Amino acid sequence: MSMMPALTTLLAAADGPFIAGGTAPAWVGLMAGLPLLGAALCVVCACLNVKSKAPGYLTVGLLAGGFVTALAAFMGGSDSDSYGVATIFRWIHASIGAGSEASITANIGYYMDGLSMLWMLFVTGLATVIGLYSTEYVEHDKGLGYCRFFFAFNLFVFSMSSLVMADNLLLLFLGWEGVGLCSYLLIGYFYKKPEAVAAAKKAFIMNRIGDLGLLMAIGATFVVFGTIEFRPLFEFIRDGVDANGNAIAHTWVVVVIPLLFTAGAFGKSAQIFLYTWLPDAMEGPTPVSALIHAATMVTAGVYLVARMYPLYAADEAHIALSVIAWSGAITAFWAAAIAFAQYDIKRIMGYSTISQLGYMFAGLGVMTTTGAVFHVLTHAFFKATLFLCCGAVMHGFAGQLDMRKLSGVGSIAGFKITAIAMLIGCLNLAGLAGTAGYFSKDMILAEAFVTPGEVIFLPWAVGLLMLLTAFMTAYYTFRVFFRVFVGPVKYEAGDDHHGDAEEEHAAEDAHGHGHDDHGFHPHAPRFAMNAAIALLAIGSIAAIPLYFINAEDHGWAGSMVHESTAAFAAPEVHHDDHGEHGEPHAMLSADVVPVSLGAAPEGDGEAAHHGDNLGLGLDPHKAMYVVSGIIGVFGIGLAAFFHGPKGLGGLFIGNRTDTGSPRMDAVARYFGPLPRLAERKFMIDELYDTIIVKPLLVFSHIFHAFDKLVIDGLVDLFGSLPRWLGSLLRPSQDGMLHGYATGMVAGSAVLLLLVVLVALL
Amino acid sequence: MAEKIALIWPEIVLFITTCIVMILGLSPNKQWRSLCLPASMAGLAVAGVLAVLGMTSGSQSETMLPNLPGFIKITVVGVGLLLLMLQGGLIDRREEALVASGRAFSPLRTNRAEYYSLVLFSLTGLMLCASASDLIWLFLALELTSLPTYVMVAMSSSRGRAQEAGVKYFYLGALGAATFLYGFVMLYGGTGELKLGPMAGVIATEGINNITLIGLLLSIAGLAFKIAAVPMHFYTADVYQGAASPVTAFLAFVPKTAGFVALLLVCSVAGWSYGESGNALPEAARIMIWVMAAVTMTVGNVLALMQSSVKRMLAYSSVAHSGYMLVGLLAGPGDGTFGGSGVSAVLFYLAAYGVTNTGAFAVIACLEKRAADRGEPLEVEDFDDLRGLWKREPVLGVVLAVSALSLMGFPPLFGFWAKLPLFTSGIAAGEITLVVVLGINSAIAAFYYLRLLKAAMIDDAKGTADSPDRPMHHPAYSLRLATGVLSAIGVVALVPMAGLLANGAKDAGLYANPTIDRDEGPITVQSEPVDRQIEEPSV
Repeated sequence: MSMMPALTTLLAAADGPFIAGGTAPAWVGLMAGLPLLGAALCVVCACLNVKSKAPGYLTVGLLAGGFVTALAAFMGGSDSDSYGVATIFRWIHASIGAGSEASITANIGYYMDGLSMLWMLFVTGLATVIGLYSTEYVEHDKGLGYCRFFFAFNLFVFSMSSLVMADNLLLLFLGWEGVGLCSYLLIGYFYKKPEAVAAAKKAFIMNRIGDLGLLMAIGATFVVFGTIEFRPLFEFIRDGVDANGNAIAHTWVVVVIPLLFTAGAFGKSAQIFLYTWLPDAMEGPTPVSALIHAATMVTAGVYLVARMYPLYAADEAHIALSVIAWSGAITAFWAAAIAFAQYDIKRIMGYSTISQLGYMFAGLGVMTTTGAVFHVLTHAFFKATLFLCCGAVMHGFAGQLDMRKLSGVGSIAGFKITAIAMLIGCLNLAGLAGTAGYFSKDMILAEAFVTPGEVIFLPWAVGLLMLLTAFMTAYYTFRVFFRVFVGPVKYEAGDDHHGDAEEEHAAEDAHGHGHDDHGFHPHAPRFAMNAAIALLAIGSIAAIPLYFINAEDHGWAGSMVHESTAAFAAPEVHHDDHGEHGEPHAMLSADVVPVSLGAAPEGDGEAAHHGDNLGLGLDPHKAMYVVSGIIGVFGIGLAAFFHGPKGLGGLFIGNRTDTGSPRMDAVARYFGPLPRLAERKFMIDELYDTIIVKPLLVFSHIFHAFDKLVIDGLVDLFGSLPRWLGSLLRPSQDGMLHGYATGMVAGSAVLLLLVVLVALL
Repeated sequence: MAEKIALIWPEIVLFITTCIVMILGLSPNKQWRSLCLPASMAGLAVAGVLAVLGMTSGSQSETMLPNLPGFIKITVVGVGLLLLMLQGGLIDRREEALVASGRAFSPLRTNRAEYYSLVLFSLTGLMLCASASDLIWLFLALELTSLPTYVMVAMSSSRGRAQEAGVKYFYLGALGAATFLYGFVMLYGGTGELKLGPMAGVIATEGINNITLIGLLLSIAGLAFKIAAVPMHFYTADVYQGAASPVTAFLAFVPKTAGFVALLLVCSVAGWSYGESGNALPEAARIMIWVMAAVTMTVGNVLALMQSSVKRMLAYSSVAHSGYMLVGLLAGPGDGTFGGSGVSAVLFYLAAYGVTNTGAFAVIACLEKRAADRGEPLEVEDFDDLRGLWKREPVLGVVLAVSALSLMGFPPLFGFWAKLPLFTSGIAAGEITLVVVLGINSAIAAFYYLRLLKAAMIDDAKGTADSPDRPMHHPAYSLRLATGVLSAIGVVALVPMAGLLANGAKDAGLYANPTIDRDEGPITVQSEPVDRQIEEPSV
């Protein structure tokens, strides 16, 4: 199990998931080590009471180092031979019980394969860019707050790296909890704001529910397979046996453990039932929303499922995958419906994140890990762009996020880059034909329609639901864009308008726009923020070619995924086999033929799809290009019609002349109470409050009373015993000599008498 | 004879030192007079070196615990040096002040020479206790340990309380001594032997008769006075409170150690070879010590709980600590390993208790209050006086905290490592119930030690900085502070060295095989531990 020659690795990949067999160089640890160093340095800065932006620039530098490391690892490690485990140091080596064979091993070690490589590339890259943006975004808080921010920021990147690169489930869990902690710390960054504190607590507590599932999954994995290290674990799963050599197919193992992992993933990725924390998490600073709550941390659930994919695929009934597919689609639709009626632009982006995460899970559920992972990648870029643009608006308009109070921001000097980037992001999110978001979404949509019904419960319904969602997404995205960035210039400032801070700000503002007492002047983003926004916008365009390189693997992401444990369920291949065997079941189970390197050329896939496509005479992907392209444009058009301003030579079909009264308001009343309900988020928070929080509170009061009266009473009773005994004995110490002498003699006599009675008689 | 003298070289050196100090203290020259303390300490240090040499040269006493003297003597030297340092500045305070203001020095009015001699005599007696190999020697050594302390208590302060304490101590001490002397007589009567070795041989070969047994029980009851165990504990609080703190620290260690040494010697004569498992004391003695241990620790702790005076609290806690150590006495040598041997546990605990307790008393001895009657300043002794100590005197606060935590048995301090073998040896000996009582009592003790900690470390000081009842420094503050700091360092620094000490205690707890025929002339003690069939303790 140490070093495996390249040939063996390839052979192993041919009959199961790709299990990285080599030894990765130890320096990949720098990806985790540099942010940790950054966190430590931020503590030092805090201790030295640094009042400059030094912690921020330090962070950006170190994170950039992490990104360079990731790039180096990618360049050197794309050769599948050097994918493998880098053990930094032995951490836990324990035998369990006396004399038994059972032992647990968990090292601080990094498991490098295509999946972790891909994740690390965009985590470190985005963290660097967003770190740069943050140096300007939180500049009002220079000093301790600044150090605190970047400490948590670094710690987050460290935790995320541990999560992604862990070579065992325990280290993964530590990273998992670490990102949860950092999320808590950063959502609550404005800790003087009660909403932020409440949101931080909510995020932390809701995540606990999912974390319980993950913990149970890890425990169950250890019980069944006797190991939590990835390499032996996946070897067991590949062979379809547990630690005792019994087959795992058709047992609880392949149903319950995946479902438990799913619960963990749903908590972290804000899916069905557990999504309510994510919109509230938008109380945190916007860079945090961009990095943690859009691009990286919330995709940890997707990563987890992709990582453990062999276990999901080992179930012939694919119960867990059906659950994931349907939950994802329903979440996508549900969140889009809520986003329809929100006015807070950042929250809309929050709901759209939930919705897009739903797509990713649906992709995992319909067995296109490639599509899901590619969507993670494109979404990371364009959603981060969108958030940073929202942040620029928020920063410039003193915290104003209500789209009813902002209009024509794109026409204000200094916001040009923001507006262009916002447009690019919105086009991606809306899935306009040709954008990266369009391609990645299509991979998932197409796969939903070609996955056989024997495999997933009603996959075409999942597909239809997602198509509907795609239309809604296009509409609500451009609702934001049209209302906020185009149209007549009109705005109200938010209430974060702190006189002193603004004064200071205006004085040091490079643009030097004046600031007087009579009116509010928005201040445009400066270099750091603009640079970050521009970089990310370019990134979300640059993701397009990734789809076309390595076309036989469904793009670059596919080639990465194929060299990982997620290398399962390649659509072409199982459809190929479907044609030949007429029974997709058999080969989708443990003996599924995965796409190994170079397998399933494009031609085969096309031929295979002809049998069960949508009936457009095209293969599903091409059909989907057309359908979703039309849907995207239609959604954007509808948004333009309802919310677009007049003008620009009739380019815009809308009628809006100011910030208020778009046509939508007139239409909304025909939908009855639905828009109101959607605006109030379908009262889910209130529902949870009523059915879970309130009963729990009642129980806790009852238990508290019991504790107070009975338990404390008993403890107090026992506690008072010695005191009572003491007061009983105290009179014997009266200070009288003859009393003491009598006591001594009498005591000895009693003692001797007792001895005589007990022992001698 | 020569062997016996070889065994008591440290005592001889101490006696010579005593004579020198007695002369030095009468010198009209202030410099010479003030040499009393350094000379005493030097003599004690030399005695310590000799004790180490004696131990390494393998000289053993002719008792059932042949290696006991070496360990006890080294412990006595270590703790004794701290205790001697603490005595500095205690005696002749008023007289020296008068001499400094111009009055002529008169040897008749000074007490310094006597005082340091008494301290050294007492320490000599303690060492002699450890070397004792027959009952007369043991009795005389015990009295040599105790008699000086009666006088020390009375001399320690010009206040009436000290004299009252001295009288009480002397009177009740005589009662205790009479009791164990009676027991010694019965032991002699029952076995016809005065020497401990042959006496053990007689008991081993002929069995223990009732007279011997009663002698054993009476000895234990009488020696309970020395260790301040129930029912002989009544004097403790009054005497400890009445004496000046340095003397109290002395009382808490020296007579207690002498008492435990004597108890170990007397019990080892009967041997731990009775009971169902064959590793217990004779049933009568077992029951007696069991009851004494349980009642002593409980009474000590619950009374300590009630006190508002720190000195009384420490006095009762000293009673409780004796109760803990009785568990080790009851457990006996066990399988001879450190964790299994109660004898080693007792010896180890004595060392730890001596070092730690001295630190606690040193803190109290550092401070004093103006007396309302303009007489000799009052000792600081209430919890209230120590409030806010951490803020006023950080060093004293830390020393007190370390001492209190260690006395409580808080890991990883020395007191914890000392208490642990008491538990393990008790379990190994099968005395589970008593160990549970020990555990509960440790918990009760935590309460009042933590209360002391809270007063010193958390509470705010009483009154303002210049209020009249605000404690001020004792004239010998720096010396006493040094003692406290040294003892606190010891409590922490001895932890890494605990293994070494434990080894010493393990060797000292070595129990010789008593199967010796009384007619075979001088006994030869086998240094192999008794091989017993003891089941492994199931913890």
